[in-house]
Amino acid sequence: MQLDLKKGSRPWILAILTFVIMAVFIGRLFYLQIVQHEYYVGLANREQLKQLVIPSKRGEIYAMDGTAPVKVVLNETVYTVFADPKVVDKPKEVVDVVRRVAGGNARADLESLVARKESRYQILATKVTRKQAEMMKEEHLKGLGFQATTQRVYPEGQLAAQTLGFVDAEGKGKYGIEGALNVRLTGVDGSLQAVTDISNVPLTVGKNNIEKSAKNGDNVVLTIDRNVQAYAEKALADGLQRSHATNGSVMIMDPQSGKVLAMANLPTYNPSEYNKVTDVAAFNNETISAPYEPGSDIKTLTMATGLDKGVIEPTSTYNNTDSIKVEDRTIGNATKGQTGVITMQHALNYSLNTGMVTVAQRLGDGASITRGARNTMYEYFHDRLGLGELTGIELANEAKGTVIPPTDVDGGAVRYSNMAFGQGLDVTMVQVCAAFSTIINGGTYYQPTVLAGRMNDEGTAFTANPDKPARLGMISPASSNTVRAMIHEARTAFYAGQDRPGFYIGGKTGTSQTIENGLYVDDQTIGTYLGFGGDSAATPRYVIMVQVSGKKMNLAGNKDALPIFTDISNWLIDYLKLQPKG
Amino acid sequence: MQPKRTTQFSPRRGSSWSRNQNTVAFASNVKLGPVAHTVLIALMITVLGLIYLTQATRATSYDYEAQKIDDKIADLTTQKTDLEIENARLTALENVKNSPVAREMTKPAQTDYVGQ
Repeated sequence: MQLDLKKGSRPWILAILTFVIMAVFIGRLFYLQIVQHEYYVGLANREQLKQLVIPSKRGEIYAMDGTAPVKVVLNETVYTVFADPKVVDKPKEVVDVVRRVAGGNARADLESLVARKESRYQILATKVTRKQAEMMKEEHLKGLGFQATTQRVYPEGQLAAQTLGFVDAEGKGKYGIEGALNVRLTGVDGSLQAVTDISNVPLTVGKNNIEKSAKNGDNVVLTIDRNVQAYAEKALADGLQRSHATNGSVMIMDPQSGKVLAMANLPTYNPSEYNKVTDVAAFNNETISAPYEPGSDIKTLTMATGLDKGVIEPTSTYNNTDSIKVEDRTIGNATKGQTGVITMQHALNYSLNTGMVTVAQRLGDGASITRGARNTMYEYFHDRLGLGELTGIELANEAKGTVIPPTDVDGGAVRYSNMAFGQGLDVTMVQVCAAFSTIINGGTYYQPTVLAGRMNDEGTAFTANPDKPARLGMISPASSNTVRAMIHEARTAFYAGQDRPGFYIGGKTGTSQTIENGLYVDDQTIGTYLGFGGDSAATPRYVIMVQVSGKKMNLAGNKDALPIFTDISNWLIDYLKLQPKG
Repeated sequence: MQPKRTTQFSPRRGSSWSRNQNTVAFASNVKLGPVAHTVLIALMITVLGLIYLTQATRATSYDYEAQKIDDKIADLTTQKTDLEIENARLTALENVKNSPVAREMTKPAQTDYVGQ
């Protein structure tokens, strides 16, 4: 075969034509692919490359059930059902199906929503479960869509609501552990950049695909024992009902570790219905965020300070005249009649203010609460036992409270005489529990904690948190033994019959005045009881603090708070499987 | 050029052929011109292109398979979560407390302790 390319012949013309066409193609391709490369790559990427977010899973929250962690906050996939009214061809059926399946989660005015033909997106129902969504999908209704989202689920209802907190509509943790550990629980969203088809299915074409996996939030395990928590809430509710009080809190702590076993507050709320709460005060965990004058239970700390400094013994005496003068003020006892020369143990048993002021005086020169005495009290109360300082507990909105130092102009002798019996200072229940645990456990301050550890992603392996550093020797073991015995005696002197025989229980009442507009009022007192229990004198196993209050109500520690303590204490003995040794 | 098929014997001496040279030539009746060649080449390029596309899109078909599996995993995970929630609700303290078994329970009349 021989190509005949004679000028003017058909092959010649074809060759020329082909060459010209090819030249045009090549020229155009050169322009598109080389000259305009960046522009068209950008254009293609904008259309084909999708930036998709891989949402991280919010960490779940566990509480202890004895020694095993159980889930108390989970994530549930729910669906928002929407309609595209322009596409809906059977509006009546859509309305019927949504109303029948979604029930109370369906919007009230479904007919009018579906009839809005000018709109392309109308929400018909929210928080529809997967099963409900599947039932609707089976109807194959045109124009009906489903959008998956997650919500928090609280299978235990109101249990430990203030400790848990809640997650708001924007997915942010508020209050409690949800608020404090929001970043840790949220995790980090991943991202996927990929060429997708029209249904957003990522395709492995192109070289610009990037996948960054999401990092799920941590699953955290609380030290809160759900059984102890439930019982504390029940005992508190019963106690408030008996006293007709409106507000109350209970904190239960392991004095040998600082782990919080329960934090109960009333009134409370259901975290899954946080949007229905009318009084936001219900969100607050009063045990950590409401400093108050704790009253006479602080006398145990005053005694511990005096014992540790060696200025008193339980048998040390003073002359009680039911009143004592501090500078220009006269301080009296709430309980009158225990006059004469009495012991410090007697003063503690009867909760005599004069005895505590005497201890404060003996920390000084014996006759007045000197600067040295005030320094000592401040060192013990604030520096060693942590009153008036944040404990660092892993919960949102912890309040610091106030313990005025002796260097302050308000930190004079009168202030410190009041502090000796629990007035003139604002502290939280968690601070008091931690301080009380320190004086009865041998003198070690454990930082209060609600975090026991974490669970792995599959929820199968529990890793305990390492112990937090403890402050040893805040008071001497000997002083701790003595004050523990004094507190035990203070309870058994009047209330021994209420405790289970053979166990070592101690406690102190507190009835504190409240301040309104800067002045103490007489028609409103807060009742507190602070105590410990265990199977032996040497090792207290639990500390319980109870507080009850109400607007314009005079509530007392012995009458209103103590029965709640006794109820919980006697129950805890069984729950902790303690055996009588006494 | 007109190649012809020759069947008539002619002695080697009488021709210019030498040893080991074919003495029979086959000539095709199909004639391909330059246009046909161009079309054929274009067709071959097209076929090769289609083969390339087939191979390239085969990987994409795996993407759909992977997507189906991912969807299945997500669905099973959701079902597992739903079951966990159901389990948590059924074993919640309030439910346990109100269960028929719990309602039948009574407080112990006496507690004996086994020595440790």
